[in-house]
Amino acid sequence: MKSNAGLAFVLPALIVLFMLVAYPVTYTGWLSVTNDQGQFTGLQNFADVLRPRVTMQALWNTLWWVIGSVFFQVLLGVAAALLLNQNFVGRALVRSVTLIPWVIPSIVAATTWAWMFHTEFGIINYMLTSAGALDEPVGWLTRSSTVMPAMIGINVWKLFPFVAIMVLAALQSIPQELYEAARIDGANYWDEVRHITLPQIRPVIMAVTLLLVIWALNAITIIYAVTRGGPANRTLITPIQIFRLAFENVEFNQAAALSVMFFATVMLIVLVYIKTFADQPGES
Amino acid sequence: MKSLKLVCFFALSVLSSVATTTIARAGDVVWWAPNWGEERARTLAQKFMAANPGTTVKIEITVSNGLPERVLTALRSGTGPDIIEVQHGWVNGYAQSGLILPLDDTIQDKQDYVPAAIDYVGWNGKLWAIPYRIETHGIIYNKDHFREAGLDPGKPPKTWDELTTAAKALTKNGRYGFGITGGGEVGNTLFRSLPFIWMNGGDIITADMTKAVVNSPEAVKAVEFYTNFYKQGLSPKSTLENDGLALRRLFIAGTVSAYQSGQFDLPAIQKENPNVKLGAMTIPAPAGKQTAAVLGGWSYVVPKSAKNPEEARKFLQFLNTTENQGYYTDTFPARMSSIKLPRFDDPMLKPFAEMLPYGRPVPVHKNWVKIVQAYFDGIQRILLGDQTAKESMDQANEEIQALLK
Repeated sequence: MKSNAGLAFVLPALIVLFMLVAYPVTYTGWLSVTNDQGQFTGLQNFADVLRPRVTMQALWNTLWWVIGSVFFQVLLGVAAALLLNQNFVGRALVRSVTLIPWVIPSIVAATTWAWMFHTEFGIINYMLTSAGALDEPVGWLTRSSTVMPAMIGINVWKLFPFVAIMVLAALQSIPQELYEAARIDGANYWDEVRHITLPQIRPVIMAVTLLLVIWALNAITIIYAVTRGGPANRTLITPIQIFRLAFENVEFNQAAALSVMFFATVMLIVLVYIKTFADQPGES
Repeated sequence: MKSLKLVCFFALSVLSSVATTTIARAGDVVWWAPNWGEERARTLAQKFMAANPGTTVKIEITVSNGLPERVLTALRSGTGPDIIEVQHGWVNGYAQSGLILPLDDTIQDKQDYVPAAIDYVGWNGKLWAIPYRIETHGIIYNKDHFREAGLDPGKPPKTWDELTTAAKALTKNGRYGFGITGGGEVGNTLFRSLPFIWMNGGDIITADMTKAVVNSPEAVKAVEFYTNFYKQGLSPKSTLENDGLALRRLFIAGTVSAYQSGQFDLPAIQKENPNVKLGAMTIPAPAGKQTAAVLGGWSYVVPKSAKNPEEARKFLQFLNTTENQGYYTDTFPARMSSIKLPRFDDPMLKPFAEMLPYGRPVPVHKNWVKIVQAYFDGIQRILLGDQTAKESMDQANEEIQALLK
């Protein structure tokens, strides 16, 4: 009786959850094994979507995009947090200014960066050529070697403040006694960072990194707004490929098949990550 | 007292909403007309209503952004108007899905129309739309730049070799002789490069749409010709991020001396930079061969769900008399007799008019969007220097062949 009453209370929430999460996921799964007439076709859609070499290329691009973005976001974010944790005049102001990239809407930031990177009209080429650092303008978004790093750069710029603010919060919760004890034992600054600061903020970095990985895997806005995945699919990541398949080519079934595979891969990455890093019995 | 006021207010608001909502009655023709022709559309509607007192033409203005989706939604849900203006290329899909009515009994003087325009909107032996506006690209060039480069602006290039030579002469002092597109929406580059393939006797897919032929020697040579403008430094460094609009901006800024576009760019250039001495030429072809262009433009369709198809047909016949079609179009009319009207007797428009007979429709295949994407990716690989034209088109051919099944 008691347990039934409990079920009745959570039922509305469960129904909403089902409609918003379980139904779309199941429906995507169903779409992926049917054709556009709704007939069951088995794994045909999966075969069709895996055949073009662009799928493999998109997967590699996604890998570089995620690793590059997350690595530099964490690196820069932690460095910025360590700096912002020092005592200096105007610290509050610098802390707020650091947050600006994060609070700008992605589409605004991406479009602005696209203009700044433009070969003819862009301010980046203008500054570099007029300062004498470059002899002639560089096509940042039109060369195979620079376009993905440029995209990663925008993504890092956009999200490192988030890392910084999370890590800063963690830094401020470290008890001062630990540092005092270390100093009495003769530790220098780097010893403190290595043996006190980093272990103390480790759980935060772990959680933030996981979030960053998931966000990078879902990030369509920046790349789509700047290059649409071009040139020649150089910056095409899997989520954009799914978007293109569904909304530009109206191939919902193939898009669903790709989504299912992508979903499985992401789940796998997240599980492995949680198992290997976050679960470790640690100093925290 | 208070309740009376409330009732009055309520009645008024109902009345005003009735007044502002389009309610189609018998004898009403609802016409979706694009915003660029609004004024002329209203004039024509007034004239028609004056001559046909029983019919009311209601104009609803559309904008080009998102129009294909809006039209398709209206057609599929059966809530469409009586007449819609759409691009020629969309008509075939509507016809195949049974969303529009055939107009064979509506068109007058069919033999007076440019044949390619009629072909474009035909399917299964029937005519599904009345084309009223047609256009193709030509090449717009800067006459002063020609003079400064020692070229005769009165004698623009006629062949591919002459175009390349001229572009080389024009490219100096930070100027680029001939701007091509390699970025933006895929259509930009398709419309500019596919004609070169056609001129050389090639195509992307065969006419029966069973075989990809974009790696044929003719097609590869044309693609090479197109991409070489960038590879040889005759097109701006930003080529891979440029679409038609970017080229126009670079032309206005004097960075690009010539580029492919339609006559609709001419007023925009004159407005932003009145000092540019504009010239226009037909698109050069390989020596001894004929030029070609992609035919673009607009047609009228009557949805199957039209409330008043009979009146709509009558109105369409009025819209498509020689005079009215010539009056309404933004570029050129589809009727050959309309092109003779004084309005089109402008020397700047002559090269664009000369291009019209060489305008060809693009194929209508259900995977066309993907085919164009595969072709465009191939062009970008060449521009990036990843592959030669041959290698790149071989790969594109393979990808396109897989899409033709």
